[in-house]
Amino acid sequence: MEKILRKENLADWLAALEGYDIHAPAFADSVWNYARVNGEGMALDHTNTVRPVKEFAFPQREVFFRFEQEKDGAPRLTATVPDPAPIVVFGVRPCDGRGMPRNDKVFGAEYKDPYYWARRDKLTLVGLACNEPHSPNCFCQSVGGAPNSEEGLDVLMTDLGDRFHVKGITGRGIEIMEHGRDAFDEARKADKTEVAKTHAAACAVTQRSFGDLDKMPDAIRNNFDAPLWQELARACIGCGICTFLCPTCHCFDINDEVTCQSPCAGERVRTWDNCQFPDFTMHTSGHNPRHDVGARLRQRISHKFLYFVENHKTQQCVGCGRCISECPVGIDIVRVLDTVSQA
Amino acid sequence: MENVYLPRIGRIAGIDEETVGARAIKTFKVEFPNDDGFDHECGQCAMLSIFGKGESMISIASSPLVKDYKQFSIMKMGRVTTAFHDAKIGDLVGIRGPYGNKFPLEQWKGRDLVFIGGGVGLAPIWPVIQTAVANRQDYGKISVFYGARSSSDIMYKADFERLKGTVDVQLSVDNAEAGWQGYVGFVPANLMDKAPSPNNAVAITCGPPIMIKFVIQNLQKLGFGDEQIYTTIENKMKCGVGKCGRCNVGKDYVCVNGPVYSWAELKQLPQEY
Repeated sequence: MEKILRKENLADWLAALEGYDIHAPAFADSVWNYARVNGEGMALDHTNTVRPVKEFAFPQREVFFRFEQEKDGAPRLTATVPDPAPIVVFGVRPCDGRGMPRNDKVFGAEYKDPYYWARRDKLTLVGLACNEPHSPNCFCQSVGGAPNSEEGLDVLMTDLGDRFHVKGITGRGIEIMEHGRDAFDEARKADKTEVAKTHAAACAVTQRSFGDLDKMPDAIRNNFDAPLWQELARACIGCGICTFLCPTCHCFDINDEVTCQSPCAGERVRTWDNCQFPDFTMHTSGHNPRHDVGARLRQRISHKFLYFVENHKTQQCVGCGRCISECPVGIDIVRVLDTVSQA
Repeated sequence: MENVYLPRIGRIAGIDEETVGARAIKTFKVEFPNDDGFDHECGQCAMLSIFGKGESMISIASSPLVKDYKQFSIMKMGRVTTAFHDAKIGDLVGIRGPYGNKFPLEQWKGRDLVFIGGGVGLAPIWPVIQTAVANRQDYGKISVFYGARSSSDIMYKADFERLKGTVDVQLSVDNAEAGWQGYVGFVPANLMDKAPSPNNAVAITCGPPIMIKFVIQNLQKLGFGDEQIYTTIENKMKCGVGKCGRCNVGKDYVCVNGPVYSWAELKQLPQEY
């Protein structure tokens, strides 16, 4: 389904999405991030959000269940699987859209994660094609993506100046377009030609690159014990921002947070975690399988460009560039990959 | 959708003090008071928890043939294991599982079995020993090598006494002690001293990483092939279902793809365990 939405009609489409929570990028505290914008409209002129879209299905903090146990009594457990209203997220950049099917593989698989899927099944992602790279660190095309990639998105919008081209990709996407059918005009042949031209121009912009993506698994294998990891990671302070903001990093911690000592009561909570922390892999005995920053950088890269490829036949990186832009010491995944591929 | 993170309730039905001291080991029998217990295979683990303290992944030390309870031998190490050591009979805890793969015991019928354990590393291979002994006629010679720092650090003492009639038991302590009848020295050395034959045999080992390393080297010297050597590895785990990333080694999540590996399989993985 392809339609044209005049910019002045965007509000009509949003108004027709009754019963949905609507989120879009909003500029606050000097950065773009998603915010609930029901009734407020949206500009859709953002670069990219700092926080990735993954948190709509995999929030930073998630309560698994509450527990309460009298001394010598039986524990009472109350599961807190969410039952959210359906959410439509507007303005998702195509790189972030590609992250979600990768997260789906992790949280699906042999054991389905009920908390992730309770949110994910209610989520509709409306993408916005990038007419130009939103950051100097963009490298989506070097990892199999594109500024107009549809992968993982339910709808793809393309900004044509005075109007958007809007393409329904999935059933869920077409459904929200049908809710607002009166807001749309038919896409004419000239519109479609203009969209194709816009996409081609965006794809023609040179992005950062690091050699042959398909040869990366072998390059990592061949350099597994090379000193380059330690050299490239030497400045790492282990802050973990690279993985927290990554649209595909999914590692997490589980802890009991006690709110009352007697009776013992509290919550078992999942929080985002990070393979760059020394204690991430440290055994209780003190033995640490990945005991230095080099081994931990190698793990982050290997997981995305070797292990995930072995398990899922695709990379676990979408080229959004957040881990480069936000790293306080300038560790640059493209430079790391380039170094490994040339070693 | 089943809630994989919501534990069942377990009742501590028995506590045996195996060893005392700074790294004491206790063995817990855990029953399912709500009759929602699960079956398991040799080598699998379960996520145990004490509410308010947290969860720990622990090997199931009882044989799958035992249906009434699960047995866990826990060394006092961190927050959760200390909470278990402070627990008493009747306490109600969390338990979810079983997790992980299994020892391919059914493929070993007709073969000699050589078990080599050290310290609390006996627990993960204990269900295999128990199951093999229960089906004694299915296997050839069964030997159990087990070592601890001193005689007071030896687990399952009463069980070893019972086993002696059925299988070849070779106990060792690291240093000489008055009255000690067994071998004096480290487990890998005891193994070389007795030199079990690799012919039609499988070796199964678990213990401290350094012990496993030298046991595998010595098994290779004795002529055991990579496919004849099995071990079980541990890594830090949080979810048990292949998602949290803690136990990731190479393409594997130890909680799902492990913890049991032949040496032929394990040597394909990075040494990050």
